[in-house]
Amino acid sequence: MKTFLRTIFVTIITIITLFSCTDVIDVEVPEADPRLVVEASLDWEKGTQGNSQTIKLSTSTPYFDQETNASVVGASVIITNDNDGTTVVFIDENNGNYTTNSFVPELNQSYTLEIIYNGDIYVAHETLMPVVDIADVYQTIDKGLSEVLEFNVDFSDLANEENFYLFKIQEEADLLPTLFDIKDEFVNGNLINVFHERIEDEDINQVEYQAGDKVAIELYGISEEYYEYISLLIQQYESADNPFGTIPVPLKGNCINTSDASNYAFGYFRLTQVVKTNYTFE
Amino acid sequence: MKNLVLLFMLFTAIVSAQESYTVSGIIKEASNGETAFGASVYLKGTTIGAMSNEYGFFSITAPKGRYTLVVSYIGFEDATKIIILDKDQKINFEIKESSTQLEEIVIKSKESEITSIKNPQMSVSKIKVKTIKKMPVVLGEVDIIKSIQMLPGVTNGGEASSGFNVRGGAADQNLVLLDEAIIYNTSHLLGFFSVFNADAIKDVKLYKGGIPARFGGRVSSVLDVRQKDGNNKDFKLTGGLGIISSRLAAEGPLFNSKGSFLVAGRSSYAHLFMKMADEENSANFYDLNLKTNYELNENNKLYLSGYFGRDGFDFEGGFESNYGNLSGNLRWNHIFNDKLFSNLSLIYSKYDYDLTLDTFEFNWVSSIKNYNAKYDLKYYASDSFKLDFGANAIYYDFDPGRIDPTTDTSPINSLQLDKKKAFESGLYINAEHKLTNRLTAHYGIRYSNFSRLGGQSLYDYENENPVVYNEALGIYQTGTVTGETAYAKDEEIKTFNNLEPRVALSYQLNETSSVKGGYSRTAQYIHLLSNTSSVTPLDVWTPSGKYIKPQLSDQFALGYFKNFENKTYSFEAEVYYKTVDNRIDYIDGSDLIGQNTIETEILNGESRAYGLELLLRKSKGDFTGWFGYTLSKSEQRTLGGSAGGPGINNGNWYSTAQDRTHDFSFTGSYKLNQKWAFGTNFVFQTGRPVTYPNGQYEYEGVSVTSYADRNSDRLSAYHRLDVSATFTPNKNPNKRWTGEWVFGLYNLYGRKNAASVSFGQNRETGANEATRTSIFGLVPSVSYNFKF
Repeated sequence: MKTFLRTIFVTIITIITLFSCTDVIDVEVPEADPRLVVEASLDWEKGTQGNSQTIKLSTSTPYFDQETNASVVGASVIITNDNDGTTVVFIDENNGNYTTNSFVPELNQSYTLEIIYNGDIYVAHETLMPVVDIADVYQTIDKGLSEVLEFNVDFSDLANEENFYLFKIQEEADLLPTLFDIKDEFVNGNLINVFHERIEDEDINQVEYQAGDKVAIELYGISEEYYEYISLLIQQYESADNPFGTIPVPLKGNCINTSDASNYAFGYFRLTQVVKTNYTFE
Repeated sequence: MKNLVLLFMLFTAIVSAQESYTVSGIIKEASNGETAFGASVYLKGTTIGAMSNEYGFFSITAPKGRYTLVVSYIGFEDATKIIILDKDQKINFEIKESSTQLEEIVIKSKESEITSIKNPQMSVSKIKVKTIKKMPVVLGEVDIIKSIQMLPGVTNGGEASSGFNVRGGAADQNLVLLDEAIIYNTSHLLGFFSVFNADAIKDVKLYKGGIPARFGGRVSSVLDVRQKDGNNKDFKLTGGLGIISSRLAAEGPLFNSKGSFLVAGRSSYAHLFMKMADEENSANFYDLNLKTNYELNENNKLYLSGYFGRDGFDFEGGFESNYGNLSGNLRWNHIFNDKLFSNLSLIYSKYDYDLTLDTFEFNWVSSIKNYNAKYDLKYYASDSFKLDFGANAIYYDFDPGRIDPTTDTSPINSLQLDKKKAFESGLYINAEHKLTNRLTAHYGIRYSNFSRLGGQSLYDYENENPVVYNEALGIYQTGTVTGETAYAKDEEIKTFNNLEPRVALSYQLNETSSVKGGYSRTAQYIHLLSNTSSVTPLDVWTPSGKYIKPQLSDQFALGYFKNFENKTYSFEAEVYYKTVDNRIDYIDGSDLIGQNTIETEILNGESRAYGLELLLRKSKGDFTGWFGYTLSKSEQRTLGGSAGGPGINNGNWYSTAQDRTHDFSFTGSYKLNQKWAFGTNFVFQTGRPVTYPNGQYEYEGVSVTSYADRNSDRLSAYHRLDVSATFTPNKNPNKRWTGEWVFGLYNLYGRKNAASVSFGQNRETGANEATRTSIFGLVPSVSYNFKF
């Protein structure tokens, strides 16, 4: 809901900035020392075993750099089930990916991630969160801010508890996915509807959704702590072009460097249950 | 309280010191009956004199004798009268404009705009609306807020940014008064235009420091805007047609010239934006100013004034948003006797923000209201001693937000954020004391009290910390809620008291120059919550209370003032240093929208600002204008305190968004002949502090930006040149109608000043890029103004 309010405000700004113009410029930006980036997203798709998991390790790079191979190799990656102490050692694929086929997912179970890299030990704790099923996926044309095609996803929020969701949409032809964070604060226990439309943007060759477009939809159940992290990440990513945007701040995840706290890692150790579906526009 | 007693003793002593008589009265402009504020009234050949107050009242006390009483107000003919001062007497003056045939195009500067050498009041700027109207403006809309930004020490966030910043202060630290009513939002259309319709305004006074004791409640500045009373001689219509809006004002006498009225309206053209953009959206604004007054008798006068302004946005099929200020004010001027003037004001003001989203089937409303009673008195004890004193009480009603479903099928649950109530009161006394012929002092004190009232519940937190530092993750988080305390309606949640001393001294070096110094302490009890780079209409006000402390500011200023070439030029140099305690700062990731527990998103920090301001002004002749320069710094710091941890931005001092190292401005008007007049502005400013990326990384399939320390970089410098020309056709002497055409070019060389530079990933190429948003390129305008 807050995202809605924020989005609406951004839209107001768009109207007001009709007198404005935007152009891409060259800017010198500061360059920080590289940090370890942990993309430890252990997502258990409903109806599967969830044994195969991949953790990606890389380093941060200068802001405009597109060349550097940032993959991290030679790290040690271990996940421990906090209840029974069983451990899973991830195998270094030498391309930044660390994989396993023997992870055992358990809902509401907490796990510990330990990474040893460059002599520093990074540790993170997280609980595997369940997710509700998607009730319906369909298309409409009259919602949103213009009369264009949009797809809708409905799901029923659980009453009597706070729930947090991450939505990920990837249209087949798109380079980048779109992320949404959802909190049930104003809609607790209700049927939640999420819709997405695309507005024509010549600058990036974006057109509205057309019949035949295929969209992959993923709905994740996430922890409150991860929600705080990912919502800020999304807010800063999405409002990047808003002159009235919130002043950007450092994003800190849950991967703590136990050897040197100031050298914390970017990224997050998350454990989620996820439901996936596809939709093809008609 | 000791100080108050001392002051009273002092003034009693002075009153009884000599036997003398008093002459008092009201000064008005002959042509329209408007009272003259800041006219100088003196006894020729003596050093005895006074300035008329906001209501045109003056009072002079002198030993028995025969004198020539002179009223001097630049742009007006001197009025003189020989008086025999052998008893107290009342003399009202009507002063005539000095050159009637040039009436409409003479570029006037009033005495009160010229640097006052003797008066210890420093850090103050007064601008007549006639001066403001000569300055070039964007799209031809005369704008008071933009005009004051041409003064040293005053800046704002750029074209599309609401409010203004004084001496490195934030926008919510300015007390903006329209006929004494508090105005909470000074901008239309998010900062493009100001809420003040220049046709309804008489004058504008900005206190950047040395705030007199009669004002309280904000730590940075006071912008005192006064509406015209309305012409009590003739019925007049004034108006204008512009690109963005049209204006019409009517004024005239009432009750056999015992009273007068003014009604002024302004409206933007509806759906203007829609047409320009070829989209189904629109933005518009309008406002309405009202004022009427009635003279009951020569000692009693009533004023009623009001303001109503609204902004509206309509995004067809999607949402509607509208917001604005409303204020009403009843004042009673009462002259007790020739030495004691009083004014009682009863004021209501309100700001609300309303958003309806059809798409999401809900409605959002937030508001702030206040009821304000003020009683101000001025005692003209003697030529060398005058006393201001009074009291003020404000009751606040805060509604931080309510959300309601708009349809039966809406997925939204109704929610009312906790309404907050508070009571603020103040008592003050201030002396204007001429110690010697060269040394004059203003000294006084304000006692302020603020009570956050009950009628709501508040959470209790472990160790009373709504925010705690998570050592492991290195972030600030919401503290642990241990319970909830319900406060009854008649209960006070928290009460604050502050003594605010104000002192100013002026030492006259010679006839044309002086040095002045001052110290003031001010307290601010309500705060605008905003974690965006500039304030927005959506931001809500919140009172001090259990978890938010009042802001306390100390400001020191020192200045040198000189008039030369027979007051044609004036030069002012001031240095200042100010600190603000308990300035709210926002933790990383703070979420303020629809937030019921604001205390979990903020920490109490501090700020400091210092600078040098230079102003060279030419006030007479065909060419008038000024050149201002400011060198300054404004920083803030927020330590972890009881929440633990290093604090925000690692507890380091960092630049506030208002910090501008250099700020250079020039504004000038030139009267070529009776038909043509020209105006120009030039502004150069160091770029606004911003937070830039210092790296990137891949996460969830997108490139995530990592940011450097808060406000550690800057936008490139802002500079702009504007020009305007005013053409006044020959007036037909048989017709009342007079008109003028104003042509303007804003941002003449089309500089793309960055309102912001944003960093993001191009969704087509995946590469990171920096995108500059600039608001106005070269903007031509034409408007037609008329009087009838």
